Amino acid sequence: MISIKNLHKHFGRLHVLKGIDVEIREQEVVVIIGPSGSGKSTLLRCINYLEEPSEGEIIVDGITLTGESSINKVRAEVGMVFQRFNLFPHMTVLANIMLAPQKVRKLNRNESEIIAHDLLKKVGLSDKANAYPEQLSGGQQQRVAIARALAMRPKIMLFDEPTSALDPEMINEVLDVMKNLAHEGMTMVVVTHEMGFAREVGDRVIFMDEGRIVEEGTPTEFFTNAREDRAKAFLSKIL
Amino acid sequence: MELDFGLIVRSLPLLLTGAVVTIQITVLSVGFGLFIGMFAGIARMAKFWLVRAAATVYVDFIRGTPLLVQIFIIYFALPLLLGKRIDPFLAAITACSINSGAYIAEIFRAGIQSIDKGQMEAGRSLGMSWIQTMCYVILPQAFKRIIPPLGNEFIAMLKDSSLVSVIGFEELTRRGQLIIARTYGSFEIWVTVAVIYLIMTLTISRLVDYLERRYKIDDKH
Ligand SMILES: Nc1ncnc2c1ncn2[C@@H]1O[C@H](COP(=O)(O)OP(=O)(O)OP(=O)(O)O)[C@@H](O)[C@H]1O
Ligand SMILES: [Mg+2]
Repeated sequence: MISIKNLHKHFGRLHVLKGIDVEIREQEVVVIIGPSGSGKSTLLRCINYLEEPSEGEIIVDGITLTGESSINKVRAEVGMVFQRFNLFPHMTVLANIMLAPQKVRKLNRNESEIIAHDLLKKVGLSDKANAYPEQLSGGQQQRVAIARALAMRPKIMLFDEPTSALDPEMINEVLDVMKNLAHEGMTMVVVTHEMGFAREVGDRVIFMDEGRIVEEGTPTEFFTNAREDRAKAFLSKIL
Repeated sequence: MELDFGLIVRSLPLLLTGAVVTIQITVLSVGFGLFIGMFAGIARMAKFWLVRAAATVYVDFIRGTPLLVQIFIIYFALPLLLGKRIDPFLAAITACSINSGAYIAEIFRAGIQSIDKGQMEAGRSLGMSWIQTMCYVILPQAFKRIIPPLGNEFIAMLKDSSLVSVIGFEELTRRGQLIIARTYGSFEIWVTVAVIYLIMTLTISRLVDYLERRYKIDDKH
């Protein structure tokens, strides 16, 4: 589904990704963990070209990058959920969800409204359709953001620390939505510090440090006997 | 010195029609300026350096030279190039629009850049193009933030439009000059002209305050 070969990313002098190779299969849930600054977000953002790779190859759903039009094609297939939600504050919840299907998929108002109501029901926010983002709690906003991404019917969902900006009591409502998605067979790449989530629905854990993949394995393998010292040190800090 | 109030009263109709002309030039110039400024402001952030450079040259040139000189260029210099005279009204509107556009471009740029970067990323990550995200996500939010500076630009243009009196265009200031040439009532007329400008500018700034407050109350809607 996603195939990354020898991916490098530089920000000026800063070498942030130093040769990443990953294959992600359809319906797989991959959890990426690692210390701050290790390049997790950058890797995720390269997958939908919010960052331009400096070197290497990324193939998403068989689409190789050839120009602006293929970028938009990839992005329409790849949903992204951000740490800080990034909902559109001047639009209602419903309008947030309907915008891209109308503008990108060229669906009409009715079609996209049906999809939006469907997704709101799925994330448990049917009663908030006409609210504005600022009237919602963080957890609710993040669920709307997930619904907004899903409205494009993506084949892959990327999550960049989706619960890090939330108060503790709201984390679970968002994780539950993500777990449901995983059970439905969505291909997911999730950067998170929620180890419970990784254990429960992760098929594979990737540990990154200083721009490299240091270790990867099933959650059970990784959490019970990590081989690398850096991974052990990291785990002892967060577990 | 004795004040001739009769002169003020007698001149008022002529001055007020001049004030209407002043408002016309200002509205038209800021209107066209808004259009030019929106494109120039966005162009200053374009990906292609040539577009960016062109917009920067425009903004720098206009903001770095006096409006009076710009009016002279349009009214006196441009006709030499074109081989035909330009009507003062057209020259006045053209010069003021181009001038206003440069200032408004900066207002737009600042307004757009004040919108969280995450908004563009969210739009792009949904597969919308840069232009689509700009139109549906960024600009609607930026518009609200640029109302106060746009109001200031409107007031500045209203005052600066007095400069077009030098090409004989009969707005408020020019009307004052013409009345004084006939009546020698310099004091009465200039004070009256100033008061009329003041009434117009104060009215606009109150209006902008009101709009700003209204948008604050139903913030973001
Ligand atoms: N646009 C950018 N320009 C310059 N440097 C950047 C940019 N984005 C990220 N970096 C740098 O790249 C490095 C990796 O950043 P990245 O956000 O990928 O880390 P991360 O693993 O997601 O960390 P965190 O857990 O804190 O989110 C950091 O040193 C960061 O400062
Ligand atoms: Mg990050």
